[in-house]
Amino acid sequence: AMEKMSRVTTALGGSALTGRTMHCHLDAPANAISVCRDAAQVVVAGRSIFKIYAIEDEQFVEKLNLRVGRKPSLNLSCADVVWHQMDENLLATAATNGVVVTWNLGRPSRNKQDQLFTEHKRTVNKVCFHPTEAHVLLSGSQDGFMKCFDLRRKDSVSTFSGEAPEAGRADGEVLWVCHRPPDVFPESTKKVGLEVSTPPSRPPRLGRRQACDSSPQSLQGLPPWLLSLLEPLTFSPHGPPPAGQSESVRDVQFSIRDYFTFASTFENGNVQLWDIRRPDRCERMFTAHNGPVFCCDWHPEDRGWLATGGRDKMVKVWDMTTHRAKEVHCVQTIASVARVKWRPECRHHLATCSMMVDHNIYVWDVRRPFVPAAMFEEHRDVTTGIAWRHPHDPSFLLSGSKDSTLCQHLFRDASQPVERANPEGLCYGLFGDLAFAAKESLVATESGRKPYAGDRRHPIFFKRKLDPAEPFVGLASSALSVFEIEPGSGSMSWFVDTAERYALAGRPLAELCDHNAKVARELGRNQVAQTWTMLRIIYCSPGLASATSLNHSVGKGSSCGVPLMNSFNLKDMAPGLGSETRLDRSKGDTRSDTVLLDSSATLITNEDNEETEGSDVPADYLLGDVEGEEEELYLLDPEHAHPEEPEYVLPQEAFPLRHEIVDTPPGPEHLQDKADSPHVSGSEADAASLAPVDSSFSLISIPHALYDTRLPPDFFSALVCDMLRFYAEQGDVQMAVSVLIVLGERVRKDIDEQTQEHWYASYIDLLQRFCLWNVSNQVVKLSTSRAISCLNQASTTLHVNCSHCKRPMSSRGWVCDRCHRCASMCAVCHHVVKGLFVWCQGCSHGGHLQHIMKWLEGSSHCPAGCGHLCEYS
Amino acid sequence: MFVARHIAADHKDLIHDVSFDFHGRRMATCSSDQSVKVWDKSESGDWHCTASWKTHSGSVWRVTWAHPEFGQVLASCSFDRTAAVWEEIVGESNDKLRGQSHWVKRTTLVDSRTSVTDVKFAPKHMGLMLATCSADGIVRIYEAPDVMNLSQWSLQHEISCKLSCSCISWNPSSSRAHSPMIAVGSDDSSPNAMAKVQIFEYSENTRKYAKAETLMTVTDPVHDIAFAPNLGRSFHILAVATKDVRIFTLKPVRKELTSSGGPTKFEIHIVAQFDNHNSQVWRVSWNITGTVLASSGDDGCVRLWKANYMDNWKCTGILKGNGSPVNGNSQQGNSNPSLGSNIPNLQNSLNGSSSGRKHS
Repeated sequence: AMEKMSRVTTALGGSALTGRTMHCHLDAPANAISVCRDAAQVVVAGRSIFKIYAIEDEQFVEKLNLRVGRKPSLNLSCADVVWHQMDENLLATAATNGVVVTWNLGRPSRNKQDQLFTEHKRTVNKVCFHPTEAHVLLSGSQDGFMKCFDLRRKDSVSTFSGEAPEAGRADGEVLWVCHRPPDVFPESTKKVGLEVSTPPSRPPRLGRRQACDSSPQSLQGLPPWLLSLLEPLTFSPHGPPPAGQSESVRDVQFSIRDYFTFASTFENGNVQLWDIRRPDRCERMFTAHNGPVFCCDWHPEDRGWLATGGRDKMVKVWDMTTHRAKEVHCVQTIASVARVKWRPECRHHLATCSMMVDHNIYVWDVRRPFVPAAMFEEHRDVTTGIAWRHPHDPSFLLSGSKDSTLCQHLFRDASQPVERANPEGLCYGLFGDLAFAAKESLVATESGRKPYAGDRRHPIFFKRKLDPAEPFVGLASSALSVFEIEPGSGSMSWFVDTAERYALAGRPLAELCDHNAKVARELGRNQVAQTWTMLRIIYCSPGLASATSLNHSVGKGSSCGVPLMNSFNLKDMAPGLGSETRLDRSKGDTRSDTVLLDSSATLITNEDNEETEGSDVPADYLLGDVEGEEEELYLLDPEHAHPEEPEYVLPQEAFPLRHEIVDTPPGPEHLQDKADSPHVSGSEADAASLAPVDSSFSLISIPHALYDTRLPPDFFSALVCDMLRFYAEQGDVQMAVSVLIVLGERVRKDIDEQTQEHWYASYIDLLQRFCLWNVSNQVVKLSTSRAISCLNQASTTLHVNCSHCKRPMSSRGWVCDRCHRCASMCAVCHHVVKGLFVWCQGCSHGGHLQHIMKWLEGSSHCPAGCGHLCEYS
Repeated sequence: MFVARHIAADHKDLIHDVSFDFHGRRMATCSSDQSVKVWDKSESGDWHCTASWKTHSGSVWRVTWAHPEFGQVLASCSFDRTAAVWEEIVGESNDKLRGQSHWVKRTTLVDSRTSVTDVKFAPKHMGLMLATCSADGIVRIYEAPDVMNLSQWSLQHEISCKLSCSCISWNPSSSRAHSPMIAVGSDDSSPNAMAKVQIFEYSENTRKYAKAETLMTVTDPVHDIAFAPNLGRSFHILAVATKDVRIFTLKPVRKELTSSGGPTKFEIHIVAQFDNHNSQVWRVSWNITGTVLASSGDDGCVRLWKANYMDNWKCTGILKGNGSPVNGNSQQGNSNPSLGSNIPNLQNSLNGSSSGRKHS
């Protein structure tokens, strides 16, 4: 026999297999396939098909139809088929009616049927030839028996019963088994002191426990996460199975190396090991899976390794050489495992397919148990049979499917989920932190840097081939780190500070603007500070002061065209501006100021353009063109914008803002710099020294008489609106909303409701992210957008019990319907609580927040004397 | 500057996704080892794993948090063709004592017949909705009609993208002017050069999602896609991770100008394209103001991108995965990304060196 085996090997050595990925249509769904030892023919068997195909280079060619005769016999309804690996003429099929049939292709007649064994009572799930003994056939059936046939005799030689003596197991005893693979156990397992057998040979047994009722009382003390993983093994909680009725056999496989040994798998999750000479009892039995074990396969080289696959979606590799079967690998597939076949010449590879849901065939490296190494996706229905074409060629896989096709898969055409898998995760945190997870090989060394060579997965030449000889690189793992941004260096803390410190209402506009400008400045946000200052200037010139003291009343006066008093009391304004700019300068940080100047200048210019239509203002006074914000920065003409023009006399329509520009103190040189280059190159020190702060004072002190014209605040609203939009587009919705609230009616009408609502909603969302609930609430309250302000009125329901009668209160205030007493009495001072009322949810007693807090310092009992140990969160 | 804090994740296989929650205090990771871990930030800033459990029977590609208004809720999606919704259960004192929390599966979404490659909760204002995409090229949108019942999800829409999908992103804008919109990226690597980013928009009239735009210029496999937080902008910013990093702006063309009823038309501009990763780009992620984009690629680096006032996007920082600073080709390698500037554009009008100096 050994001579024959070696001949096969050498045959391959002489002429390697050739072929391509291909498929052919069958007449009917296949249930099983088996390959002839010459690797040139494959037999396909099913409920209504039984054919032999030749595997040619380009196609499958039907060679022989074994279903002959007019009447289709149930004997031909095949559940399984196997081709003898020593005799090219010998096949066996397992019929769904329980018959085992052998076929002799050497028979001269059309009917090749050889022998018929009608010993099983139910479907035969599996037939298996002895690998070296020509006449020995084994069958396993749904009826719970395995039978060994000698093909030279008419009857079975021996019968093995799956019903093994289950020694030492009492009625009603439940074995609790954790089905989670041991290697996924958290470290904490050991701390809890559980028995997790190491090395992880099998589901860790937690011990047998009496379980009269099914409640896992005996498991008390185990952590819940573990309890959730535990399942009672179902073999005996309801007593032993009735006598004579054994568990169904799903698979039988002769050991390749041990002449007398075969393994069988059962629907109850057990695997048995038998000596073919000892039908009375199995050599060994163990629980391999939770639920049916559908298949098993002996490793072609490792005599001890048996792979089993079950409905529990796992493939387990057992080392059978040790005293107790030891689980050495556990692969988690995505569907129940119907077939498992070790890949030739690849010690750690095996192929699986499923009988439900999943139509694909996977090849796994058992050392990387979570991600399939390769995947074949050709079939459109479940794959029912898989077979490696030649026992020493790892690249050709054949498969039959319920979709009535027979396929040959070439390994190089397989898709490789490993390669497709994303090796990195990245997420920005709230404050600017970054969480980053990356495959360790990418971040570990420079070798991680690989040049871009087209898509990694295509074209095929670039694809890393799954070379069987390639050493396993070990489990892939990722490094996880969080890059924390240092406070102050660009974290989002400015946002929080700003939100908390801004004043949005309740004070005169000028104060609000000043306050907010101060806040912004202290946080180093000079541009924002300048903006607030500008707003103050625009809207709070003294003449307007009375009208502007509260938010919502401004529009009237101006729109009625009431002549404004001379509006610029610049002396009032100057100190603030002056000091501010001085402050900025002293920090040597004038750049954003400058930029602000520019943008505000543009705004003004815009306005000029509109308002001076037809007026006699020389175009030179325009500070720039108005096409785009970026442009303006450079169009600013230092000559004409020169702020220190002493005899500057405005035409009748005054444009005070033009002078306000001057409030911000950059000197001409500075402007020159700006105009020259977008990348401001002038040194800050220069700018500071060349632009004396005082100059702004002199400028601002323009005779009041110049301004005794009307200056409707509306005048600016378009600009201010533009500014708000600008801030919003830049991602600073905080500024947009804050200004919107502070200015109130002054600008609100000029921005469409939808945009306002959008800004409010965005800002509120941001505030809530930072848990700034109070600010968020204030913004909601101050908003005039109906969609926003109703956020506060969304129903919050409090269910309250009367503190006297303990019954639920109706919704009518704080007076109890039943006992007609006020429920919100303070249990400490016995007065009715107005304002903050806290109460214990256990006894319904409570009172003033302060009183209760004080009380609880001394005692944890309820101050009402009800004896309850009150709990407050 | 950044300080790298390494976390012993103890996943048994590759980590495919990390995700911060709404408040940035919790983090979830998912891995090919079929598990999801939840990490909570302690007072001291350390991240502690407070839950780790097997979520799927295949690689878990993505994990994402729902808005906390809906509870502590996670969604995950997997190679096992399912997406799942998980909720944290409070009050298990046994767990609490050990600093562990307990997560229960509320639903399994089994409609896909292939690997579910991405899952994203819709912006909160749309209610409790969830989108998944799968390798068979279908985007599915689910809704939980009763936000209190996380076990009931109904499949609302199935959008066929024709190409194997790898990533999705909801447009986060809450503006009434912006219809619900979802961008889908494909990592289909078949040689035909089809556009790999499609944008679908919900139409009130037809109550369906219809294709609004296709980014014709993106023809290489796309691995990640992300809309920037909108924060009141009138336009949208979309980052795409493909063989390079790309940033697009989508300005809605006013409705009146287009034929009414149809999907919104957009003016689409590519505003940045960087191949500095010199390899596949796997992930893109925006900061919460949508002003800084982080990207990571096969070079194992995270790069930060930010626009200046000219809408010129520049690299403002490089972070090596192992925490070591990169002294590479970019002079800005060590410069501070200065995320906090209120008006990044204007601040960036200053050249990079000065902003670096300011903070160092």
